[in-house]
Amino acid sequence: MIPMSFINPLSDEGKQIVRKDGGDLDRIYEENNQLIASINSIKSQKISDDDYIPKNYVDLVIKRIEWYVEKKSDSKNKFKKYAFLFDSKITKFDVIAFYILCQAVGIKFGPNSRESRAIVELQGQLIENRLEELNFNRRAKREVVQQVMNELIVEDRIRWTLLADLISSKKISLQDLVLKEGNIILDREEFMEHFEEMIKNRQPEKMYNIFIGDRIKELIIIKMIMQNTENYIKNVHEMSNTVEPNPTLLKIADEISEALSKEIRHYSSGFAGGNAEASPLNAELFPPCIKLALEGIKSGGRNEVIVLFLTPFLSYARLNPSVFGSNTTLKISDVDPDLNVTKNEIIPMIYDAADRCIPPLFDDQPQEKVNINAKLGFGMHSDLSLQHEGETKWYTPMGCDKVKMNMPALCKPDEICKRLKEINPLFYYLDKMKK
Amino acid sequence: MEMFKPATLEERRIYYREEWDIKQVSDFISNSIENREFGFDHFGKGPNDRYKVFNTPDYLKRFLKSKTPFAAYCSVAFYEKPRRRKGWIKSELVFDVDAKDIPIRTCGCDDVCEICLREAKEIVEGLIDTLKGDLGLKDIHLIYSGRGYHIRIFDADVMIMDSDVRSQILKYVVGADLPKDKYDDDNGIYNLEHFSIPFGYPWVFTQRVKYAINHLTVDSKLEDVNGKLLKDVLTNRNLLERNQWGLFKTNIGPVRYKKVIKAITSLNMSLVDAKVTIDLKRILRLPSSLHSKVSMRCTEVKNIDTFDPFEDAVPGFVWERNE
Ligand SMILES: [Zn+2]
Repeated sequence: MIPMSFINPLSDEGKQIVRKDGGDLDRIYEENNQLIASINSIKSQKISDDDYIPKNYVDLVIKRIEWYVEKKSDSKNKFKKYAFLFDSKITKFDVIAFYILCQAVGIKFGPNSRESRAIVELQGQLIENRLEELNFNRRAKREVVQQVMNELIVEDRIRWTLLADLISSKKISLQDLVLKEGNIILDREEFMEHFEEMIKNRQPEKMYNIFIGDRIKELIIIKMIMQNTENYIKNVHEMSNTVEPNPTLLKIADEISEALSKEIRHYSSGFAGGNAEASPLNAELFPPCIKLALEGIKSGGRNEVIVLFLTPFLSYARLNPSVFGSNTTLKISDVDPDLNVTKNEIIPMIYDAADRCIPPLFDDQPQEKVNINAKLGFGMHSDLSLQHEGETKWYTPMGCDKVKMNMPALCKPDEICKRLKEINPLFYYLDKMKK
Repeated sequence: MEMFKPATLEERRIYYREEWDIKQVSDFISNSIENREFGFDHFGKGPNDRYKVFNTPDYLKRFLKSKTPFAAYCSVAFYEKPRRRKGWIKSELVFDVDAKDIPIRTCGCDDVCEICLREAKEIVEGLIDTLKGDLGLKDIHLIYSGRGYHIRIFDADVMIMDSDVRSQILKYVVGADLPKDKYDDDNGIYNLEHFSIPFGYPWVFTQRVKYAINHLTVDSKLEDVNGKLLKDVLTNRNLLERNQWGLFKTNIGPVRYKKVIKAITSLNMSLVDAKVTIDLKRILRLPSSLHSKVSMRCTEVKNIDTFDPFEDAVPGFVWERNE
């Protein structure tokens, strides 16, 4: 059986572990033989380098962050050296590490800091990957997911609006949820109460199993645990205003911050995150909609296509193709400091497409040049200049949904579009680029 | 009396100076007036006079009484600095149902008429049912726009949602996607038609399809549906009154049934003007203002069951016209 607190450290079980074993902050830097022994007993663990093995609680805290940072730049990698993070043998130590992490960050940096946001995301990804590792044992996985969820929804009904960001990023489709007055129906009894009598010719039990699927439950518990982690950090922060902060925790907070900043260095080195870096545009890799748009628009909607659709796509495809895979917001000058690429490669392509419209876009609407600059993040000015950068936002590329809705004539999905689930034209380019 | 005729400049003056009262502007505007952007159309050529801000209802009153514009609009967005449309705070969630653009209408008129306005109201009632019953939204206002309806939603947690979520809400409530018909669990794969699922999105979809089929006429145009198929649908649609979907499908034939619901699915997207719903910075006709093109008052609907645009949204000057 998988302990609940391996998935949700904030569960009652998790809280008990901390109460029992987590008390002594002075000893968390001490070598912990129990911890080392349990990690060495994990078969899949890579032990070729002694550095892979955390020796004490603080090591474990830092390892969690290093995993998160490395995973970010190489999401497919399974990282054998971090295998211990995905084995429930470490549950007891993992739970304590989780609390140390949240408390340190909460005390030192507060809930709205970059560090706190990263920790919340880390926790979400950790759970997601742990559940993935459990796929070979679906029964155990389902059992623990169900337990965790039962505990979570006893405290709270879950409104669909809590999942807005998952819906926005297409991780969950609104249409896959069973909703009643704004609440997501997850509980078997509740499902029966509302729908049993209406279900004709089928077994209600079976309908429940089919519709309230594992995937939805998993995404929801991940989301709720992330939310609860955020709340916990907030509480820690508020409490810390009334008592003298513990110096050990402050010291750990600095180590956490430093481990996280390896991630920042990674982004600011000019690469855009992920394993796709900025490189010259290859028009052959463009999706059908972009190819069509580049030929110029012969009917209505020229402005939208050139300014809102083509401009963000071309600029991101050229300068920051992995924008949706990273959490860091970049300006154009972060990647193209003297704007040479923007002025000599990107703008000419946009203007060409504008000229191919009928009538040519700038003939009757010269002001659209200003709007193009604005969408690149350079404010409402006729010249593209560094001093105005940041006055507007560098618009991210439009998703397929919006393209379909606003410019349906452009959307002619091919096999690749379909395989990629028609989310964003940029994913198409990224996908072909990686091959 | 002549309806739907444009209002003259003189009639606009009479309307704003004698009939209109600032108290008719909905509270949801008055209470947030300093965060909203206003736009005006003075000459009937589109709302060119934008970025207007009024710090109190009183300023708005003076403006309207003196300018008596052809049309008045107000942003669905709340801004820190509405004059520059900067500092976006939140936006109402809006659904715009224009009677003229309803994809399936029984009237066949060129513009709007009593029949399609009534059908617009029926569609709006269906959407509101789903917005409340499924999505649990509570703070919903309905506005008669002059030639259709605006549903305006103020629930705090949806007002901060981005366009992507709004577009999914839209597709959910109008039934713009074909529901899956294959589902699986550990024991296998099951075929389940949308009409055998009495909950969730498939149920919403079933309601929308039923509405559409009930409003088809011999002249309706459905993509990939020929005259013969349309006729068979019309002959068999009484089965849906008793929810005999299985029989309906058998009579039509499963392949042809699929054609029909596919065509309806794509029409459903235009039940509502999608651009309005996903645009966070849209301006919408100001409740209480005059829709001069058709001489109707944009009016907040207090009771949807009893609201009749020809009683409740016709300005006084129209009643005087024939004398
Ligand atoms: Zn009509």
